[in-house]
Amino acid sequence: MSAIVPTLLAELATLPLVSYIDTLGQFLRPSTLVGVFVRGLSKSAIYVMIASGLTLVFGLMGVLNFAHGSLTMIGAYLGGLVMVLAVTGASGTVSRFAFFLVAVLVVFGALSALGGVIEVGLIRPLYDRPPIYQILLTFGVTLVLDELVRIVTLFYGLQPISEWQAALGTKPEPLTATIRLGSTTVSGLALFEILFGVVTVAAVWAFLTRTRYGLVVRAGSEDSEMTEALGIDVRRVFTTVFALGTGIAGIAGALLMWDPVWGASVPLAAETLLPAFVVVIVGGLGTFRGTVVAALIVGMIDAVTTWWFVNAVEFTGLPEMFIFLILVVTLIVRPQGLFGVAEVGGH
Amino acid sequence: MAISDPDRGPDGSSIESRGDGGEPVEGAGTATDAEKDLPESPEAVDLAPERAWWRRYAEEHVAHLVVIVLLGLYPLIHSALVASPVGAEAVMLLPDVETMTAVLYFGLFAMSFDFISGYTGYLSFGHAVFYGTGAYFVIVAANGKLPLVPHTTPFLLLLVLGGLLATVLALVIGVVSFRLSGVYFAMVTLGVSQVVYVLVRDWGFLASNPRDGPFVVGPEGATAPIFSVGVPFVDPLNLDIGVLTGDSVVLGPLSLGSTEVSFYMVGLVVLVCYFALQRLVHSPFGRVLIAIRENEERARAIGYDTFRYKLAAFAVSGFFAAVAGGLFAGFRRSASPDNAFFFLVTGDALLAAIIGGFGTLAGPLFGRLLDETVREFLSKEGAGGGLLPYLRDTLPESVLTTDIAGLTVQGAIETFLNGHASLYIGLVFVAFVLFVPGGLLGSVRERLGGPIAKQVAARIRGED
Repeated sequence: MSAIVPTLLAELATLPLVSYIDTLGQFLRPSTLVGVFVRGLSKSAIYVMIASGLTLVFGLMGVLNFAHGSLTMIGAYLGGLVMVLAVTGASGTVSRFAFFLVAVLVVFGALSALGGVIEVGLIRPLYDRPPIYQILLTFGVTLVLDELVRIVTLFYGLQPISEWQAALGTKPEPLTATIRLGSTTVSGLALFEILFGVVTVAAVWAFLTRTRYGLVVRAGSEDSEMTEALGIDVRRVFTTVFALGTGIAGIAGALLMWDPVWGASVPLAAETLLPAFVVVIVGGLGTFRGTVVAALIVGMIDAVTTWWFVNAVEFTGLPEMFIFLILVVTLIVRPQGLFGVAEVGGH
Repeated sequence: MAISDPDRGPDGSSIESRGDGGEPVEGAGTATDAEKDLPESPEAVDLAPERAWWRRYAEEHVAHLVVIVLLGLYPLIHSALVASPVGAEAVMLLPDVETMTAVLYFGLFAMSFDFISGYTGYLSFGHAVFYGTGAYFVIVAANGKLPLVPHTTPFLLLLVLGGLLATVLALVIGVVSFRLSGVYFAMVTLGVSQVVYVLVRDWGFLASNPRDGPFVVGPEGATAPIFSVGVPFVDPLNLDIGVLTGDSVVLGPLSLGSTEVSFYMVGLVVLVCYFALQRLVHSPFGRVLIAIRENEERARAIGYDTFRYKLAAFAVSGFFAAVAGGLFAGFRRSASPDNAFFFLVTGDALLAAIIGGFGTLAGPLFGRLLDETVREFLSKEGAGGGLLPYLRDTLPESVLTTDIAGLTVQGAIETFLNGHASLYIGLVFVAFVLFVPGGLLGSVRERLGGPIAKQVAARIRGED
């Protein structure tokens, strides 16, 4: 390491620090800040969608689902498939939104079913093993699912590593437009993503706090043995929550298929899995409130660092690096996460 | 416990009852006599103190010797089979020598991963950071970019230096992450390795095109160094490695090409590393690691400072992972962020470790062998032989183009098999996690009642 340090310092000295101060002034302009804020919100919405399924499953069952990203990716392809089949060039804005609603329902149903099968068939036998076995198993499931999707996409002549352009093209017209906000512009898609994220969070929140089943889920997360002792079939709750979590992962994928930054592709699995882990862990594994707050933090930092890398710093990996740095710093300073319970840290 | 390692404690009853059943390998009559003297095979060493240490040592390494000889003869067997009438089948089924070299160095990486994850139970999901560090260190040093390390530094010294760098890195990461356990430990190591991955992927100092990674080109105005394995600074005792840059050797009737020489030289380093790790695993230090895996609180309660043990194990593991990475870079003469630092590289080690046997040290090598064999068999281009080129050569055109439900035979293979080895490896992996948690070697051990080398030694003594 000592050998690299002088070179690093030499590189640092050549950086145009003076121009950074200029850029800071530019960054602090209200119009820039508003633009970055809205973009941060849309990123947060995406992060909360890809992470909330993961956090529900971990909170209740203690299973860190490595296959979560793959399920999001399958959701993206499935949603894209529905859209590509349904939408024709003549479809108007309203019908495209209606088709999207259908796509979301289809994706939710299909992915929930898949999740249920995975839980009953593969994860259930592992509950009495050390927790790393669930990581191992779901990691294996990821390999299988990714490769299956690759086979299918190649068979139909799609390029699995680049975004599915046909699905991107099914966006309704308002989402491709840019909207003026004061002196900056944001894309319609960003606003749609924020709306979608808020609706999802509200729905999960309502499910957890306003329904009887949500009560059972919260009770199970708190103390699954006690819940079982009170006569509740916790195993069935496990299956339901796992199915629900994968369903939400799928919906997130359906939304991402429209976003040109993500798009439906096989690498989407890893691209969503890693930030989802960060969000879930920063928030505190298993707390939904923590996940929402962490998604906001990560989304904002992502937007800010993206702005800096576009405008000043010539380092493409800047946002990604900061996201993982948040993870590392959180685990060092507060291992249980922002809203986690201290003893959970010893899982 | 899910991870079975019968030699961790005297589980005499089960071993004895199994022994009474009579192993089919041994004659029943001679076995009973021997077993009266040696009721518990793992304890056999203590019961035979009169034996000279070197003899005990030799007996306990018979199994190792068999594996080493088999691996050593592999290039010769492979070339003999390829030249024989079943040559086409041999090319199709057997991994070629270049792949076997990859099995060796990646096997070492998987072993180092197993050393920390399999023995202490702490899943180091960011282990690729050490592998990548070793690989990048060798290449960047050979390109003359590191001050104090001239580009002519002997390869073995580079391996050690890279290993030490990784050790320091492991200590830094370990101090932070061993405050956590289970899922959290896996996540913090993963997080750190991804930070390094992104840094490496976009840092122009390391390579002219950091996304593609560095190549060994040598410093400006100088020729690229050729890596060799042997006694440093004594030229006649060194052999160069690399597919294009390696030495060829003619030994009487045997002539070894550069790939074969590389195979042996990489194998030599891996062998030394394996014995070092094996020594550690069977030392009191290694016992403490297993104690940590089985019950950390109890290990702490009887007075072991488990934090220090874990940290030391992590440092050792990081060192050997970097050596493996250095071998990889030395053999391939290039590395990229995606095949050295990405978290899926750790995933490959995990795959090898689980299939081969988690917590069995040697197992990951066999796991990797299976993995690479299947991958080569189903490789897309049929590089190094494989299913499709074989069928193309042997089957008549009419069979290949036969239509089965809208797909030709060739089309079906291209669609479902070639380049999709991950699918089948993934299925095998899931099956192992669910049904064979001990892995290949772990299951054999369970059947024999202890590590194979010790069981073989016990058999040899029994036959005296």
